[in-house]
Amino acid sequence: MTTTADQLVDDYLKRLRKELAGLPRERRRELEQEISEHIAEARATLSAQNEAEVRTLLDRIGDPADIAAEARERFGVAPRKTGAVEIGALVLLPIGGVVLPVIGWIVGVILLWASQAWTTRDKLIGTLVLPGGMLVPFGLGFIADSGGACVESSGGANTCSGGTGPLGIAAIIVLFLLPLASAVYLAMRMRRGRAVLAT
Amino acid sequence: MVSGGQQDALITQMRRGTLQYCVLALLAEEQRYGFDLVRALAEADGMVTSEGTIYPLLSRLRRDGLVESTWQESPSGPPRRYYRLTESGRAALEGFKREWDRFRDAVDHFVERKAR
Repeated sequence: MTTTADQLVDDYLKRLRKELAGLPRERRRELEQEISEHIAEARATLSAQNEAEVRTLLDRIGDPADIAAEARERFGVAPRKTGAVEIGALVLLPIGGVVLPVIGWIVGVILLWASQAWTTRDKLIGTLVLPGGMLVPFGLGFIADSGGACVESSGGANTCSGGTGPLGIAAIIVLFLLPLASAVYLAMRMRRGRAVLAT
Repeated sequence: MVSGGQQDALITQMRRGTLQYCVLALLAEEQRYGFDLVRALAEADGMVTSEGTIYPLLSRLRRDGLVESTWQESPSGPPRRYYRLTESGRAALEGFKREWDRFRDAVDHFVERKAR
């Protein structure tokens, strides 16, 4: 059964992992493990495993962002900046494929993977949901639109046959929303640049 | 005049520059494992603001060949990574000690002057 203390530690380590993304994988894994073990050992020395003690302990270890900034400085990795690359990716992934078919989306993917603002998992999500961005539903919508034929009957009412039924329309709408949701997800998961201590 | 913020930045810089030599000095006495080393450093008032930041430093010292580590079984729990000085580390520490003595004496000479 997880206690509040366990939850605190878990959350801390999750934040640490998020802040460390962008560092070389070996360094990142190593740091995560070392800090995790440090926490475990520190907890073992605590008289009580209550929430207050664990909070104090985690405060002593420091803000994950500070640890990540230190790691970046020690290993000469450029500090993360939210910039043109991230904005470019966020815009091109959903609509790039529509504006400049296929190529626009591919550029978005390149920017996504070049950026240090997202973990690999997030980058995969951004690429696979939805490949081509809105180009696919756009194209499908186009086809669907021109597939049907509307005939004016004698009563003056239009009967449209063929084309896409309501199910198809719903599917296309979903396909439109997916790249949008993906872009919103990426925007939320984006790590903002931290001011680096004056060196 | 140096502003408060500038002074903070200066002190932070001094700490960062000297912290690694404090690590080397601790390891010159005996080999230590991560947790123990980090806690020992944190004991000196003001040297360490965030214990977690020692680990990137240790990693860097390893990469630069100033320290090396070995895994050893621990009586209570998973194996521990023990750090110790290398020859380069020892030499770097000696070099720093000389510079630090000179620097400290020079600064003290002015800062510690008695009013005449």
